[in-house]
Amino acid sequence: MTLSHAGSIVSVIIPVGDRQTPIAELFAEYKAGLQSLRTPYEIIFVIDGPQPAYESALLRLTAAGEPLTIVTLTRRFGEATALMIGFEHACGAIIVSLPAYLQVAGSEIGKLMTALDTADIAVGYREPRAGGWFQSLRRNAFHGLLRFVTRLQFRDLGCNARAFKRKILDEIHLYGDQDRFLPVLAERQGFRVAEVPLRQATDRLRPEAYKPRSYLRGFLDIFTVFFLVRFTKRPLRFFGMVGLVILSVGVLELAYLIFERVYFHSPLADRPALLLAALFIVLGVQIFALGLLGELIIFTHAGGSKDYQVDRVIHYPGPASDRAELSEAGMRPRETEHSRVISL
Amino acid sequence: MPSAPKLSVIVPFFNEEDSIDPMYAAIVAAVEPLRISFEMVFVDDGSRDGTAARGEEIARRDSRVRFVKFRRNYGQTAAMAAGIEYAQGEILITMDGDLQNDPADIEHFLAKMSEGYDIVVGWRHKRQDKLVTRKIPSKIANRLIGKVTGVPITDNGCSLKAFRGSLIKNIPLYSEMHRFIPAMASIAGPRIAEIRVRHHARQFGKSKYGLSRVYKVLLDLMVIKTVASFTSRPLLWFSLLCIPLTLFGFVALAAGLARWPVDGFVSIPLAGAGLIFLMAAVTLMASGTLGELVYKLGDVRPENFARLSKRAVGGNPIVSVVASKGIHP
Repeated sequence: MTLSHAGSIVSVIIPVGDRQTPIAELFAEYKAGLQSLRTPYEIIFVIDGPQPAYESALLRLTAAGEPLTIVTLTRRFGEATALMIGFEHACGAIIVSLPAYLQVAGSEIGKLMTALDTADIAVGYREPRAGGWFQSLRRNAFHGLLRFVTRLQFRDLGCNARAFKRKILDEIHLYGDQDRFLPVLAERQGFRVAEVPLRQATDRLRPEAYKPRSYLRGFLDIFTVFFLVRFTKRPLRFFGMVGLVILSVGVLELAYLIFERVYFHSPLADRPALLLAALFIVLGVQIFALGLLGELIIFTHAGGSKDYQVDRVIHYPGPASDRAELSEAGMRPRETEHSRVISL
Repeated sequence: MPSAPKLSVIVPFFNEEDSIDPMYAAIVAAVEPLRISFEMVFVDDGSRDGTAARGEEIARRDSRVRFVKFRRNYGQTAAMAAGIEYAQGEILITMDGDLQNDPADIEHFLAKMSEGYDIVVGWRHKRQDKLVTRKIPSKIANRLIGKVTGVPITDNGCSLKAFRGSLIKNIPLYSEMHRFIPAMASIAGPRIAEIRVRHHARQFGKSKYGLSRVYKVLLDLMVIKTVASFTSRPLLWFSLLCIPLTLFGFVALAAGLARWPVDGFVSIPLAGAGLIFLMAAVTLMASGTLGELVYKLGDVRPENFARLSKRAVGGNPIVSVVASKGIHP
């Protein structure tokens, strides 16, 4: 299997956050799964925030002769940052990210790798799915909201078992808890995303730790992604709309108050509604001004950021202009580093 | 052999598998007799039909064709911007990939450019489109765009345009700005000319536009107006916004405190509203300062554009920039 990747190293990155399976069990499961692939692999543990017990358990594994890379962060930075830091230490052409608790069976890793033959990133979804009605309601609400916001349909963004080509993380910079949205951002960059059904691990101690805070965070994350996907290039479309609506509410209210003052002689001076009108007008103007500032930033920095991603450039230079093509390659813009230039 | 050709023809394609071959043939037939070195940059804007395969085939046959393939559909502005980025010619000509523009017009554009213009825009004076959904909205939009941007072009929607490469490569193009390239470029003060072009009815495929873009055009217009007039002096523009607020603020505050010296009565709503307005004026000034900072740190500055619009005839370019704003017949 995965003949096309034979010979290339697979880098497995495991960010270690709150939810963990005892290391011995986790490692045995993943190792069995990876060894069945018959490709060379490396495993990188990124411990997100000091966890001395976990670290010493890992060190015992390395003492027992297991080749591991262990990166410890001095404080909690979030899973996405942990993933990015793990990526800095990875040397494989294919990166596999796995959760630090048994979410999917280790034997399923191969399926992700196979999917990479036709896609740039393969994300797992758990099928069949364990969990009660409440979990599934929560899940559906999350994915429904995300689909509403980004118009992209994903089955299970909570599944952290993913495989992707190196170029994905070269281009997409994640931070905080954005790791969940990696498929969304990849799709937006024009990468091909494949969803792969994975068998859920039969985990006796799968801790379902969802605190109210994590709901809030999830909601804010969706908001961030909404922004990243829809408005980063046109802030005034968003701020301008909101600002103009608020401004016109304020202006209408003020007009009404003045109308009453002039024709019905109800004095302006003792009407608290005047304060409200003033607040609306001011708020509207300020939000609009924020949008303008955003546009200004985009405009003055437009040289550095492009609206598009080039897949490849096809050009067969004639014999006379052969050298021109070569010399030009050095000054190519950044986007094309990941695109193929076919020259014969 | 010179590595940079004289002319680059840039054509974006989106699901135009029937048009790409005739388009290529028409361009070659139109430009080859002119005896100048030229190249073609075809941009495939993430088509889902056979456009990419046919384009690759053309690039394989003809070394003058550069075929740029997008990962997915990014829209016409992005396709134009990519075409401009990859084009190496001294003069760039953009046109639609749906055969509605006629490559035979390229000749006239080159003639006009050689008179020393930086931008030559086409005007489809016998436009072959539906009256109600296409022509009338476009007429209104063009009038509006001309009024607002101060670049009164008859037909902004016509893709057939010619640019001096050194100028257009430095104009940021994003969102859906391809309609406004002359307006965006106007910050560089180019000399713009307009010529009539032929326009054919659609032969293949179907139109990708409808009335829905009106709203986007209006917003983009607002952006361009603000950005183009704004970039040079953010603080000034924010200060202009502050004037009415400050005025309101002082009037309301004065009205609220009017009876205070007499009988000690203060109108809380009036005085409060006055204070709110004054506060807003101050924060707006702060935004303006931030804007100035952003502008100082940015790499796209209008004063850099002054040097971009090269004149065919000698003379101090900056002087002629000032003198040549607007349209020449």
